[in-house]
Amino acid sequence: MNRTLEHILPRVQKPARYTGGEYNAVVKDRAQVDVRYALCFPDTYEIGMSNLGIRILYGVMNEMEGVWCERVFAPWGDMEGEMRRAGIPLYGLESGDAIADFDLIGFSLGYEMAYSNVLNMLDLSGIPLRSEERGALAPIVVAGGTCAFNPEPLAPFVDLFLLGEGEDVSVELIQLYRRAREECWDKEEFLRSAAGIPGIYVPSLYTVRYHEDGTVAAVTPQEGVPAAVAKRIVQDFDKSYFPVKTIVPSTEIVHDRVMLELFRGCIRGCRFCQAGYAYRPVRARSPRRLVEQGIEACRDSGYQEMTLSSLSTSDYRALEPLCDGLLEWCEPNRVSLSLPSLRADNFSLGLMERVQHVRKSGLTFAPEAGTQRLRDVINKNVTEEEILRSCRTAFSGGWSSVKLYFMLGLPTETDEDVLGIASLAEKVYQAWKQTTPNPKRGVSITVSTACFVPKPHTAFQWEAQVSMEEYQRRVKLLREHMKGRSIRYNWHDAQTSRLEAVFSRGDRRLAAVLEEAWRQGAKFDAWNEYFDYDRWMAAFTACGLDPDFYAGRTRAREEVFPWSVTSTGVSAAFLWRERERAYKAEITPDCRVQCTGCGADKLYLGGKCDAEA
Amino acid sequence: MPRHRLAFSKADTAKYISHLDLMRTFQRAFLRSGLPIKHTEGFNPHAFVSIPLPLPVGHSSACEVLECELLGNPDLAEVPGRMTAALPAGITVTRCYEGGRAVKQLQYVNYIVTLEYQAGAPFGADTAIRDLLNRESLTVVKRSKKAKSGQVEVDLIPLIAKVTVEERRDCIILDLVLRAQNPGLNPDLVVSAIRERCPQAAPDYVCFHRRAVLDEQQQVWE
Repeated sequence: MNRTLEHILPRVQKPARYTGGEYNAVVKDRAQVDVRYALCFPDTYEIGMSNLGIRILYGVMNEMEGVWCERVFAPWGDMEGEMRRAGIPLYGLESGDAIADFDLIGFSLGYEMAYSNVLNMLDLSGIPLRSEERGALAPIVVAGGTCAFNPEPLAPFVDLFLLGEGEDVSVELIQLYRRAREECWDKEEFLRSAAGIPGIYVPSLYTVRYHEDGTVAAVTPQEGVPAAVAKRIVQDFDKSYFPVKTIVPSTEIVHDRVMLELFRGCIRGCRFCQAGYAYRPVRARSPRRLVEQGIEACRDSGYQEMTLSSLSTSDYRALEPLCDGLLEWCEPNRVSLSLPSLRADNFSLGLMERVQHVRKSGLTFAPEAGTQRLRDVINKNVTEEEILRSCRTAFSGGWSSVKLYFMLGLPTETDEDVLGIASLAEKVYQAWKQTTPNPKRGVSITVSTACFVPKPHTAFQWEAQVSMEEYQRRVKLLREHMKGRSIRYNWHDAQTSRLEAVFSRGDRRLAAVLEEAWRQGAKFDAWNEYFDYDRWMAAFTACGLDPDFYAGRTRAREEVFPWSVTSTGVSAAFLWRERERAYKAEITPDCRVQCTGCGADKLYLGGKCDAEA
Repeated sequence: MPRHRLAFSKADTAKYISHLDLMRTFQRAFLRSGLPIKHTEGFNPHAFVSIPLPLPVGHSSACEVLECELLGNPDLAEVPGRMTAALPAGITVTRCYEGGRAVKQLQYVNYIVTLEYQAGAPFGADTAIRDLLNRESLTVVKRSKKAKSGQVEVDLIPLIAKVTVEERRDCIILDLVLRAQNPGLNPDLVVSAIRERCPQAAPDYVCFHRRAVLDEQQQVWE
């Protein structure tokens, strides 16, 4: 271990985050390696190590001969201060080597509020922030993840973006990089060539022109560069890589358990949900393979908890046989099984009993909106009766804690819809009273609201976000109608949601705001300890840009979006159709009932998705 | 009393694994190595492991002990190898044995404390430290959760059984034998006393290493 590092670690909180050396961390011989890859997650170790995507990419790249992929997380403020004072640049956890000397630096972008950390991490590495300031072939800064579907606010900092699922395209990128080095290409040649790989977007090869009103007039690719970049997907998900041998952190992380990924994509089509559209089409793993992987991952890690993860786990066709198969091994081995993201509509007693067999935790439902009308608008195809039935089932099974998640500020929302949340919570309470076997123990019903953030590539990408004042008014209204007793009400702050709305649909000009805010000290904006809204507003003023232009403006149908060069496979025509249906409160059936022609199946060679199976 | 003991060392990156995290790490390592151990009984059964004298975060040690009960009569000679392979870097299981002496007989700990000086050890620092630690009494203020004021006064001298001070070019090495428990003395407190009473001997950086655990006669406890 680095001596300077040893000197500073006694002074920082949770030093185990900064040392590496965990079980299954991959350590390679520097002499046997020709490509060094820094896989960066712009948040803390505890959050980043809980990310399944990071674990998959880490495994995929380290399986490549001669490639050493290391993890890099954002150091917390105390550690950052110590590192800057001691002159320790950002380093890979496995080797302790400075990442400025690596070949490729890849960022995982899951949340807009982590953008300031991307800049901060580049700076901590000693690497120039802007792509144009980095002339050499190494390091190449790449980024992927959900936020890459609108890469524009980060475009000047990142050399290339990887759209969609990264396991195949990362390998292709590394192979191209090797060739570039063997043939002594310069960075320009490498990027031009990379732009030819499907799923890779090189922002410097596109020119953005704006109208006088600030909207995008055109995004023009240079000659020979694709006009649109479609995301990559893993076609045969059953055979795709799953990290059964995975790092077991020596310190507690957020999701400290085996994560089993049942399927990708979602059949539901909730109109606000970016993941629901962006991860289409649905591709599932077979239960037989999942049981094998689950058991192997538990054996190898020593974890005693396994979670079945997917966008909507209860939509997995073979969920019951899968649970049976897993429990047959889990129960005698004292491994508990948890199911996140249950939908209220198909929550069955049988399933619940299976899960609670090992340990019982709280239940979480996300009705998202308080009235049936508004749930139809957003296509959250769940009825009040279904929610209540699920709650009654749960309560009579002895559960006594329910969390209900909602959004405020959804398109067309009225005060009646807001108050519908209070009345739904009240009905859940009544349901508990009628069905609980232990009334004396009491019940805990937690209602949480967040401010709706319109996201790119969704049916609501044209919508305005409600103003912060309006969101706060609705919160206040709801508070006044939320009756005491066992119902708790939490709400997210409006400022974070507004900034998220700005950056999620932002354009390239926002890079200046990002850089200015970072220069003024912005980092860890997802954390209350660091987030400073006024700092951001000052940055907007300094750059002469209006956040309302991005967050609070309804777009015209024909507007060219900054993200129009990226494609999730779901067509804009389909999204517009969905928007129109939303305004008529017409629901769209899920993909298994009827294919609505979103276009994502065209990403396949065979052109078929699980929903049609 | 649990039947088995594992002797292990903790060094390098593993120094920063906290006591609680270390217990969890061992529980998982037993599962990974296929060595089942006895679980606690009751509402929430979990693999039972116990590590006496929690090692502070950042200290290294050559003499840690974990108590547990291995099931199924494994070959004890194989246990160290299998466990070390299943543990994070920096933790090495050196021995696995049955029985052992009661934890309450563990009376002293031998620490090697290295005081490092970037500009070389100050002239006379070793003598000053030697004098300080050989006084009749050396009372320091220590934080305490129990005391109302949040701090208590402790006399270090009765808790220090042996001190050797050795000067090297850029460090001073303290070889200390300190009371282990009821009450024990954290060597960090000895260093605090040096910083406070002999500011000219205050080190830039300190390394703490636990070399041996000893019984009442200051013989190796195991």
